[in-house]
Amino acid sequence: MSNQQNNYYTSRRQQNWSRNQNTTRFVSSVKLGPVAHTVLVALMITVLGLIYLTQATRTTGYDYESQKIDSQIADLNNQKSDLQIENARLTALSTVKDSTVAREMTTPSSTAYVQQ
Amino acid sequence: MKLELLKGSRTRILAAVILAIVAIFVVRLFYLQVIKHDYYVGLAKAEQESRFVIPASRGEIYAKNGTDPVPMVMNETVYTVFADPVTVDDKAKVVDTLRQVAGGNVRTDFDKLLDNKNSRYQVLANKLTRVQADKIKAVNLHGIGFQAVSQRVYPEGALGAQILGFVDTTGQGQYGLEGYENGVLKGVDGYLQAVTDVSNVPLTIGNDNISVPKQDGKNIVLSVDRNVQSHVESALAAGLQKNGAKKGSVLVMDPTNGKVLAMANLPTYDPGNYGQVADVAAFNNDTVSAPYEPGSDVKTYTLATGIDKGVVKASDTYNNTDHIKIGDITVSNATLGHTGNITFQTALTWSLNTGFVTIAERLGDGTNITKSARDVMYDYFHNRLGLGSLTGIELANEAPGTVIAPDDPSGDGNAVRYSNMAFGQGLDATLIQVASGFSALVNGGNYYKPTVVDGYMTDSGYKQNPTPAPLRANVVAKSTSDQVKQATHDARATSFGKTDKAGYYIGGKTGTSQVIINGQYSSTETVGTYLGYGGGSEDAPRYVIMVQVSGADQLLGGAQDALPIFTDISNWMLDYLKIQPKG
Repeated sequence: MSNQQNNYYTSRRQQNWSRNQNTTRFVSSVKLGPVAHTVLVALMITVLGLIYLTQATRTTGYDYESQKIDSQIADLNNQKSDLQIENARLTALSTVKDSTVAREMTTPSSTAYVQQ
Repeated sequence: MKLELLKGSRTRILAAVILAIVAIFVVRLFYLQVIKHDYYVGLAKAEQESRFVIPASRGEIYAKNGTDPVPMVMNETVYTVFADPVTVDDKAKVVDTLRQVAGGNVRTDFDKLLDNKNSRYQVLANKLTRVQADKIKAVNLHGIGFQAVSQRVYPEGALGAQILGFVDTTGQGQYGLEGYENGVLKGVDGYLQAVTDVSNVPLTIGNDNISVPKQDGKNIVLSVDRNVQSHVESALAAGLQKNGAKKGSVLVMDPTNGKVLAMANLPTYDPGNYGQVADVAAFNNDTVSAPYEPGSDVKTYTLATGIDKGVVKASDTYNNTDHIKIGDITVSNATLGHTGNITFQTALTWSLNTGFVTIAERLGDGTNITKSARDVMYDYFHNRLGLGSLTGIELANEAPGTVIAPDDPSGDGNAVRYSNMAFGQGLDATLIQVASGFSALVNGGNYYKPTVVDGYMTDSGYKQNPTPAPLRANVVAKSTSDQVKQATHDARATSFGKTDKAGYYIGGKTGTSQVIINGQYSSTETVGTYLGYGGGSEDAPRYVIMVQVSGADQLLGGAQDALPIFTDISNWMLDYLKIQPKG
């Protein structure tokens, strides 16, 4: 019976983890059991749910804010329209004709023209 | 030890019951959530979503004040106050507040309406201003509500009422520009579909929200100048008061582009109170919707046709015997005595029918109004100068009038009719048609489509339409136009020139038309018209004015009743347009 020994070449890279890689392994001393895991997962789900609810409520809050601003814009537009109408009434031809200034005006007896 | 449920044991029965109940739940839930899915989703949406119509604002209407636009028709939000008599708890306070704040806007006996406990909706006051509504809201009356309504307001009152028209209670424009441009003014309502909260506030949640923005109506700027319109209305009213005519119309145009500067009719109405008008005929704008026989004004058309075809000049002569025979009828002059060899200028000045029948004959073989003569007259009157056809002016209810073609199947387009048409009878036309055609005769020969729209008001300001191009260029030659201007100027100067301001170039033609009643020309009713132009020199007429006065059983003449109104407006226009006299 012959005893045959095979020699395989192994590179240094294969011998180590790999170049530039931390080969130190940290092992936490805190041990979590299955109950703690379940509680943590439940807490994470709860937190995510709360975040979702907060965001959803926030967008709805913006809707109310937007509605309030729209209402203010409509109000201001109404006021602007009222003022424009009042301005149009005050500058209407009949108002101008009936003004005291207009009543005191006289028709010129003659008109001269300057040649341009 | 091996545990197993014994056959028929209570535990096993309980398990079977629970399984059965769970199975029922599963089946029921499958039915509700899968089979009836769409139905319940629809119900939920109906509950959660609301649909809102966002009303578009109706476009406003502006007139010109010189060159600047000024509002003639605007929108105002007014409020209707209503009550739910069942929930009103302090009637005395409601009555007192409304009396103090709403004043004349409350309904008669509105306090008694509050006693009607069988009704949940009673209108107490209408058309309150925003300030009035705010004052009432501040009192916090229980059972009182407000409804905002948009209504048209007219800062210039009844000025230009028949040009503007009005908006009825359903929001549709009626008559005038409101009627014609209803689609443009109305705009397109917007639409919002969204999930809402209990207060109906739209929320951005949900996947089916739809928002279609509203498109407000266009704001139209009229070519009408409010100053000219105001003076025209005053001059017409004063003229009618003086001559006693029951009705009157005036049209002022710029002959160089077809733009209408003023358009007035009496009787008229107040568009802000259109419901109170006694006679709905007042809504009509007679300048565009009441065709009539234009009478002697059309003699300018006949003269222009003769000159343009080269068969006559104003200085040519004919033998006037005050009567002329066409077929089996005899046409006579209204003014007798200018007999002998007279010029066509004299015929125009004294409005002698025989002269214009002679021109019609000369368009034929010299003694007859032949088919070719009639074809020429129809071509000029109807095809070139627009009598008897719609002008396309942007006002509702325009009437086309009638000019019967020579080859009309009825056979009515014969020589007798065309002899009458030569002096303005036997055809129907509106004032806008006659004035537009006349504008072409005095502006060098270009026919412009008459228009009342000058442009649009946009967010960035006034956007004027491009300068109009002639609809039909060279309908008569420039030389023809010059001769017609001269002839009408001479006709006016001979008899009425002293009433014009010195140094200006004014021309025109009177018209007195008989009215057809029951198929016969009435001897007790005539319509008086005057059609003329004015400007600083013969080269540049700045305005064309047409005046018409009429009334049932009234004999009204162009010279006596319509001309003074023309003169009043013409002299005022010279000042208003700052036209310098020649020399």
